[in-house]
Amino acid sequence: MAALPRRIIKETQRLMQEPVPGISAVPSETNARYFHVIVTGPEDSPFEGGLFKLELFLPEDYPMSAPKVRFITKIYHPNIDRLGRICLDILKDKWSPALQIRTVLLSIQALLSAPNPDDPLANDVAELWKVNESEAIRNAKEWTRRYAMDN
Amino acid sequence: MSAVVDERVSDEIEALEAILMDDVVIKRVGDVPDIIETVVHPSTGDDTDQQFVCVTLEVKLTPEYPDTSPDVVLRNPRGLDDALLATIHSQIRNKLNDCLGQPVVFELIELIRENLTERNLPSGQCVICLFGFTAGDVFIKTQCYHHFHSHCLATHLISGLRNYQEEYEILPNWQQMNVSPYQQSCPVCRTIVTCDVESLRKAPPPQESITAAPFCVTDELKVTIADLQHKMSALLAQQRAKGGVVSTGYTGPPPLTITTPADNQNNVVATNGPPAAKPEPAAPRQNGNASNSNSSPGSPNGKSGYRGPYRGFNRRGKPGRRGRGNAR
Repeated sequence: MAALPRRIIKETQRLMQEPVPGISAVPSETNARYFHVIVTGPEDSPFEGGLFKLELFLPEDYPMSAPKVRFITKIYHPNIDRLGRICLDILKDKWSPALQIRTVLLSIQALLSAPNPDDPLANDVAELWKVNESEAIRNAKEWTRRYAMDN
Repeated sequence: MSAVVDERVSDEIEALEAILMDDVVIKRVGDVPDIIETVVHPSTGDDTDQQFVCVTLEVKLTPEYPDTSPDVVLRNPRGLDDALLATIHSQIRNKLNDCLGQPVVFELIELIRENLTERNLPSGQCVICLFGFTAGDVFIKTQCYHHFHSHCLATHLISGLRNYQEEYEILPNWQQMNVSPYQQSCPVCRTIVTCDVESLRKAPPPQESITAAPFCVTDELKVTIADLQHKMSALLAQQRAKGGVVSTGYTGPPPLTITTPADNQNNVVATNGPPAAKPEPAAPRQNGNASNSNSSPGSPNGKSGYRGPYRGFNRRGKPGRRGRGNAR
């Protein structure tokens, strides 16, 4: 693998030394562009108390193109599909090199607090979120409890 | 609430409008001045090209102003780091206390301007490379007062255009007609900018990117990393045991694709494994390739509907781009 760009090194260093509360990210042993991530479910959201595992990969021309991020822990959310793929504009056309691993993960955490069923990736979830929000939230809590909690 | 405006306030507003003219905005509630807003620049004569920093001063008047202090906010700082902003803020607090009972806005503007004039060089980092600006660096100030190494901004603008063209190419004809043309934008605030990429790209890369000491992992950091890695794989194992992992049983194409040649080789090996018994991401030593190991390119599950949302992800991996002219 080609030498790691200094920007990636700087970001990694800072992630280790000044971690963002509620988010941890660590490079894999074998690939410095592949990060293991844990995002905690935000307070006052149906995901509160959950520990969600994600994977994040920095493509060759990062930061000129967006990191690839995916949930590994199952999550009931209208903008996250059953493969854990995330519908978030900054991961696609709204990417900017001024964003970083930490800001991307913060945005994903914010997406958990503010689901957007009008721009769905998981259609069935989004549908329920629109017609019966309280049931959808109940489902999201149940999935969080079942899959993302410690006990 | 009476609509009668204190004479000291109306005199001050009148003076501000007379002197700053279009550069000051007075927001009123009814007839009563409520917020005074102005962008403060360093004193450089009238040479705006030499102004590398600025900040918006917003003064919200209290009903009792100037006998009580107004609320002062600094917004949209450009080229100023947190330390300098903190300094200015504390000077503002002192000034407000000293000037209780008399109009203070001119004093505030003057105070900020002095600070900016003294520090009229971008501080902080280039957000593209995360290195600072040092002597010898070639950098540029955008119209929106954001600073980048010319080299870095050129890279951003070139890839921005390339990404646009690639997205454009894969659109059906009828959609191409409705696409708005490519516009350069500021990486920080997305304001539309106009830059001459050709001259920017001639600039050398930032000094620090060459001179910075090489990175080495300290023992302390090694422990942190190992701890975290351990914690992550433990969590993953636990969640997998509960059936809480997304890809269990999934044998379709890799949701995240790693495109370096080395990874592709691993990929080939991995696809020979048992198709359904995958959950690779757990195996701590294999994690680098985890997202690939569950890939079976061309497997029956690789439905076309799947490709939609991820289209942008593999742009770089395309073997060759057809050159096209201007995307209109």
